Amino acid sequence: MMKRRSWQEYQKEIADDRYYYARSCIRQNFFPGSEKAFIEILQNDLGKDLLDDPKHSSCTGIGYHSDIVPLETIMTVVARQFALMNEAGYENFVTSCITSFGIYCEVLSTWNEFPETEEKTRENLFKATGREFRKPASVAHTSDVMFHFREEIAARAKKRLVNAVTGEPLKVVEHIGCHYAKIFPKSGIGGSEFPYVLAGMIESWGGEVVDYPERRHCCGFGFRNYLVQANRGYSIANSHKKLESMAPYKPDFIVANCPGCAMFLDKWQYAIAEMEGTTYGQNGHGIPVLTYEEMAGLVLGYDPWALGIQMHQVDVEPLLDKMGIEYDPAAKYLGRNGKYIGKPASAVVNCCPTDTIYDIRE
Amino acid sequence: MKKRIIVIGGGVAGMQTALRLAEQGVEPVIVEKEPELGGKLRGWHVLFPSFTPAEEVLTALRRRINESGIEVRTSAEVVELASRSVRLSDGSTLEGDAVVVATGFTLFDASIKEEYGYGIYDNVFTSVDIERMLNEGRVAKADGTAPRRIAFLHCVGSRDEKVCQQHCSKVCCITGVKQAMEMKKLFPEADVFNFYMDIRMFGPGYEEMYREAQQKYNIHFVRGRISEASPTIDGRVQIKAEDTLTGRPLRMSVDMLVLLVGMRANDDNAVLAAGAGLNRAPSGFLAPRDLFLGNVCSNVGGIFYAGTVTAPKNIGETLNEGTAAADAAARYVEA
Amino acid sequence: MGKYFDMLMEDVRAREGLHACMNCGVCTGVCPAAEFYNYDPRQIVSIVQTRDDDAIEALLKSDTIWYCGECMSCRPRCPRGNTPGYVIQALRTLSQKLGFFVESEKGRQQLALKRIIGENILRTGYCLVPRLIKPELHPEQGTVWQWIYDHDKEVYGQFSPVYMRHGAGALRRIDEDSLAEIRRIFDVSGGSEMFETIEKHSDRKAREMGYEEGADQQYLMDVFCNNSNEHY
Repeated sequence: MMKRRSWQEYQKEIADDRYYYARSCIRQNFFPGSEKAFIEILQNDLGKDLLDDPKHSSCTGIGYHSDIVPLETIMTVVARQFALMNEAGYENFVTSCITSFGIYCEVLSTWNEFPETEEKTRENLFKATGREFRKPASVAHTSDVMFHFREEIAARAKKRLVNAVTGEPLKVVEHIGCHYAKIFPKSGIGGSEFPYVLAGMIESWGGEVVDYPERRHCCGFGFRNYLVQANRGYSIANSHKKLESMAPYKPDFIVANCPGCAMFLDKWQYAIAEMEGTTYGQNGHGIPVLTYEEMAGLVLGYDPWALGIQMHQVDVEPLLDKMGIEYDPAAKYLGRNGKYIGKPASAVVNCCPTDTIYDIRE
Repeated sequence: MKKRIIVIGGGVAGMQTALRLAEQGVEPVIVEKEPELGGKLRGWHVLFPSFTPAEEVLTALRRRINESGIEVRTSAEVVELASRSVRLSDGSTLEGDAVVVATGFTLFDASIKEEYGYGIYDNVFTSVDIERMLNEGRVAKADGTAPRRIAFLHCVGSRDEKVCQQHCSKVCCITGVKQAMEMKKLFPEADVFNFYMDIRMFGPGYEEMYREAQQKYNIHFVRGRISEASPTIDGRVQIKAEDTLTGRPLRMSVDMLVLLVGMRANDDNAVLAAGAGLNRAPSGFLAPRDLFLGNVCSNVGGIFYAGTVTAPKNIGETLNEGTAAADAAARYVEA
Repeated sequence: MGKYFDMLMEDVRAREGLHACMNCGVCTGVCPAAEFYNYDPRQIVSIVQTRDDDAIEALLKSDTIWYCGECMSCRPRCPRGNTPGYVIQALRTLSQKLGFFVESEKGRQQLALKRIIGENILRTGYCLVPRLIKPELHPEQGTVWQWIYDHDKEVYGQFSPVYMRHGAGALRRIDEDSLAEIRRIFDVSGGSEMFETIEKHSDRKAREMGYEEGADQQYLMDVFCNNSNEHY
């Protein structure tokens, strides 16, 4: 078990109910099932009030961190989100993206530190939309909320993060996402050095957290360093560094706090396997990468395909098998209402070594 | 009737103050919160730059205190002070004609610098741990084996706004040099690194010792502060820093990481100062009346300072201040 | 002396990000960009704090300021409470305002970011949407992404009742009134002006570099794809 001592010192208020939900550009693109699962877990399993307001927009954070969206602009976009929340009668803002979470924390802190920027934002928002806003009572990342209810989820667990055959806890690499707590360490559960938001879930649900040399290193997104094709060497090099660093610990899976990190740690495993034939998981597979919503969903007994796990590049089946989760291999790549829509082409990261090949798609 | 001066603290500053007061014909009484005299020096192995055993200095001071028949009250903690009395934690009051505050400093708690994993990663140590291990005659990695690569990190809890310690603790640089040399003597095959921002060799013989560490002991000095420490699968510690002289980031694994912990102001300085109307520096150390002509005097008549209660100092400076404070206090009570 | 420094300090991020640097290097030690590029955030902060106009102008025109990934790993570690990442953000913003960004290969990429991410925000209200992630420009997205892209309505339809349509749910189409508000926010808060500035200077530079049609699709693809490999 990974030692830590200070996480209790980094606590924050997480509201118990009545959340205003802000979607994430990256999560809905790559993990739409995770968003759906989060809402279902909150509303159905836990009976909470969560509003998915069609009027809200992107926080424009990717544009801001690509330096094309000015600070004044993103502050006004954020102010509009707060105004929508006020108008809907909510005061607990919950965002599903680490970049966004960092943005909301940064904007609130900037307004606090430089009050003239808040005044200017109020002017801009009113001029552009006629709206006014009050600041939220609380701002949380969706994983904070999941952490908050981890014991309730554990009590309803159908599966645990335990090897169903050996009874051993699964070894889990948690990746937090830089903007969760590096910008404002006090805004993240456990702080920036030993964040506990995912580790808390993992431990409550039976798994064991793996500490490894590059644990705190960036996944390699680096905004313009991925978004511009010419710069992607930066991105893959940083993911590569992390994967090389964690592989000797033989983790059963990676769980990521940030949808971007989850996507990169998944996709770059594919690219590395295609480029140099290296895979980091067991038996020639990649290391499965989950979002925490998927992790929670599996624990609660959701069907893996209903969670959207088929949208990952790296197959998650080895993990499902370890957890003793039943699934229908034939249903993996079906469309709506069981419609057959073909299957993805085979890839190195999904193939076993040739002597043990059993690619279910072939 | 002899005048009586209360000396708060029985470390080297307090002992030297008391000895000098006795010499001057004043009656000192030492109030020490620990069960014995000696203060921080009790945990030290040998002293820079001469490698004099700390025990030698301590034994001499204690012997002279004994021989002088100076009154010592141990396990007695001062909770409030004024210029002619102090109140102890047992509720009793001690009267005198003046007070010398020689309460020293507090060692920085390295676990506060979370990024270095002290208390979490087994092979991360502090300079105090190393002194203790040297005293016990058993310096080794957590698993008992000999280290092959050792890194010392300067300025842990010093020159660091993030942990509210802006000041330089002054003696850690030379401690790093001294301990690096001791490690090299114990483990001649080991590579020993010092990660520093500035090497501040302020004392007599220090610069010479730094040079000897480089030239004779082949100790490596890297100008860069370590950014983080993390565990490796084989129980070592991976560190990241920048070698600022080449402008390149650097990553290496070491068998032992030693954090040179700084000296910070005692937490109870705030309460004691507030009760007595004493000024404190922004660092939390007590502020002398004047940094040039009154550096052992407080801003309150009858209260004097000796040693590291006002700022980090080495043993020699501390002893000198004990003498100076005793003289100033003696002059005050005789006036 | 100090003109550019003063302009930088008009940005609250520069004021928050730079107090006084003692060149300890903890930022660089943990910087993903420093491990990859010939890049040193400490030196950038150190140059800015000289307040030297020539040196800062050279920075504003250099590739160097564009290497940072804005991960902000530097921020929690600095013993002086500086944030080199914030200083970079202020430098980049100023470089664009002054039109200096087009003087470097990495700076010129801002046009691609504006056209891809920026215009998508105004068009859809999101930074990105699935149709933007074209497999031919994103080979690293893999075979599963290709399958998703080819069958997007079938795949997303399983998770959202409103894929590319109005309503609440993942990847919904944002209503016109909300989009109009977003665009007006960009107009009143300097976002649109930043976009125009990027276009204007890119077009000028493109012509200077021999693109007869200015910052056209060819120039865009060139800044998006080409890497001189001189950055390491």
